[in-house]
Amino acid sequence: MFKRLFLGNTNIDFHNIGSRFYKIFIIEFIIFSAVLIGSIFGFLNLNLSVDFTGGTTYQLDTEYTDNDVDDVLNNTILPVSRYQTFDNSNTIIFRAVESTQERETELLNYLSVKFSVEKNEIEFQRVGPTFGEEITNKGIRALVIFISIIALLISFRYEYRFSLIALTALMHDLLLTFSVYVILGLEITPSTIIALLTILGYSLYDTVILFDKLKDSQKSFKRDTLTSEILNKTFNEVLMRSINTSFTSAIPIISIILIGNYLGIEGNLSDFAIPLLIGILSGTYSSIFVTVPFLSKIIKT
Amino acid sequence: MKSFLKLIFLPILSVGLFIFVYLNNIQPKLGLDLQGGVSVILTAEEGTDPELIEQAVEIMRTRISAFGEVQEPEISISGENSVLVQLPGLTDQEKAIEAVGTTGLLTFRPVLNSSLNLGYSPALTITPNEDDPDNPIVTAPDGVDQLTGLTLDDNPDTDSYLLSLSDGFPIIYHLGPAELTGNDIDDALAVYPQNEWIVQLVLKDTSEQKFTDLTKKLAKLMGEQRRLAIVLDGQVISAPGIAMDVNPEIGITGGTAAISMGNSDQGESANNLAVILRYGALPVAFERSSIQKVSATLGENTLALGLQAGFVGLIIVSLFLLFYYRLSGVTAILGLGSFGALFYSIIALLGEYQGYTLTLAGIAGVIVSIGLTADSYIVIFEKLKDELKVGRSFNFAAEKAVTEAWNTILVADFVSIIASVILYILAIGPIRGFALTLGLATVFDLFYTRIFIRNAVPLFGNITDNPRSYFPLTKKDIENV
Repeated sequence: MFKRLFLGNTNIDFHNIGSRFYKIFIIEFIIFSAVLIGSIFGFLNLNLSVDFTGGTTYQLDTEYTDNDVDDVLNNTILPVSRYQTFDNSNTIIFRAVESTQERETELLNYLSVKFSVEKNEIEFQRVGPTFGEEITNKGIRALVIFISIIALLISFRYEYRFSLIALTALMHDLLLTFSVYVILGLEITPSTIIALLTILGYSLYDTVILFDKLKDSQKSFKRDTLTSEILNKTFNEVLMRSINTSFTSAIPIISIILIGNYLGIEGNLSDFAIPLLIGILSGTYSSIFVTVPFLSKIIKT
Repeated sequence: MKSFLKLIFLPILSVGLFIFVYLNNIQPKLGLDLQGGVSVILTAEEGTDPELIEQAVEIMRTRISAFGEVQEPEISISGENSVLVQLPGLTDQEKAIEAVGTTGLLTFRPVLNSSLNLGYSPALTITPNEDDPDNPIVTAPDGVDQLTGLTLDDNPDTDSYLLSLSDGFPIIYHLGPAELTGNDIDDALAVYPQNEWIVQLVLKDTSEQKFTDLTKKLAKLMGEQRRLAIVLDGQVISAPGIAMDVNPEIGITGGTAAISMGNSDQGESANNLAVILRYGALPVAFERSSIQKVSATLGENTLALGLQAGFVGLIIVSLFLLFYYRLSGVTAILGLGSFGALFYSIIALLGEYQGYTLTLAGIAGVIVSIGLTADSYIVIFEKLKDELKVGRSFNFAAEKAVTEAWNTILVADFVSIIASVILYILAIGPIRGFALTLGLATVFDLFYTRIFIRNAVPLFGNITDNPRSYFPLTKKDIENV
């Protein structure tokens, strides 16, 4: 099996199984839409970081007990809305609402005394809700411009239906990552937005390499339309590259997550790594199993 | 021969640069999130005149450099009405924010004495030392630095000894408590009525009488004591004298005053003074939309994590390529190693000469680019396999694989480059660092594909024509296809 996979002469009839994956795509699509609508109308709770909601965070490394945490939650200085602890490390993060500078400093002093940590060693962040909004707005603007340019590029080099398929695969990857975030309740930070933008690049990169291969096969079959023969040959051949590439891309990212977890470091780098990993896996899946059903449809017409 | 030169060009370049960077001890400039410090985003009201924001940034720069303990502060305009202040290495957040964000305290204080008379700070008492005539005994009052004779912590309600640099040489003034503040000023304007620049000062109606009383008092005095110092955040900006024709019984009335500024610099100093009088320290009020403080230990931890993850990732990817693509894998490892050395050197050089700071997001960009670069090799090796399957000879297959794969890699990398450029242009803050490293890595990847891999793969393809040396396949497997 491995040898056949490697030689690219597996005989998977992609053209035929296209319709099966089309059904899976429809199911996915329904779930994604439900999650999207649910989160827009507030049925599902988005775990937005302080950058989007506005507020303050205090991060400290200390030994603590549950009683200590309760004390902080019931403090009279500032309402502490949430706290976060980590396995493998003594880091604890408290989140409080935005308030006057005096109050924020007072809570900082309180935490410093309570956990006997130097004030300088407490990582303090204060964020107005505008910051996250700005990043999101700019991200969306970048997204729209990027997609338009890519659609033109693909239409120009291949054909316009290909660019629609590439964009469908792209939306699949973005929505899948987003849905995982919403369903698992992972915290959405500005790093998550950056990671989503990177997934764009990955997803298209993968799809474009596939289209190129498809074009090559067309040439070697001396045809200028897509046939099920070409489709099957190409995808059987390209299967191994897809697996290898997503493997080599995923390794550095998995090592960020594992090493970070082992050292007990949480924060921005892991915030990048998790959505990226989801995106890469999804990108590999979609470049084959989302494009195939639509390519089969092109053949039929 | 020509192809051999091309083959060794990039490895030699990268090793050379790396040695250069190493010998000169040039290291990448670390961003705030990797070395600790304070970062503040200040936002002005929407629609604020960009020129005012630029002025504010200039003023913040002077204030930060006066602040002393910050190494390489970075203050830049980000977006339409935001200013990003980054103070690496600094952890005392309150102090730092005070230094940039507040509008500053503007006061008017009578001059009691100055170093112009004595030649040294009026705060110091110097008595001859009989034992050692070269080192007289210097004493200073409490709260005054013994060496410079300047007040350490300026309090506008008490006497202070403050520095002025506005005349081109330092003068230390002995000042009385503040009589007026920036709140008493209604407007200030630099004008050029006749042969000379003048700052026209307009006081608020409620402060008119205070100003008249103050000038009455000063007009009675002579010399240095006839001056009124304008002080901003503990620094004397200007100390204009009261004109000799002001009547000590009447003072300056009508709520306006004119400060003569001479004619030497085309009104630059007059304009600066007018701005300071009008706005205090900053011409715009800012709101702090974000404050981020990263402790030095967290910064170091993150850097270590990034480096370790990158290193481990690179090693596993190399082992995988070696196991899988055998001899071809060797080219990939050589290429990736050289790529890493070149990339590191360029980042270090950019930091040294262009002020580029490597941030966490940048490191993420680097780690992501490992995968993309490795993919170029995989695409070519897979192509090589396809050509072998058709029954072509090794030489011919290798040649064909590198030529045809180039188009594929070009298009795919092009997508990445477009993404990086758009992200870089449109995004703010951390996203830019990410986009830059990703874009840079992709461009390098194109160079390596075109120059290094293109020549390396055929060369290694010449070594043997046993497929087992290149793929986990035997000759039989290929012939049986």
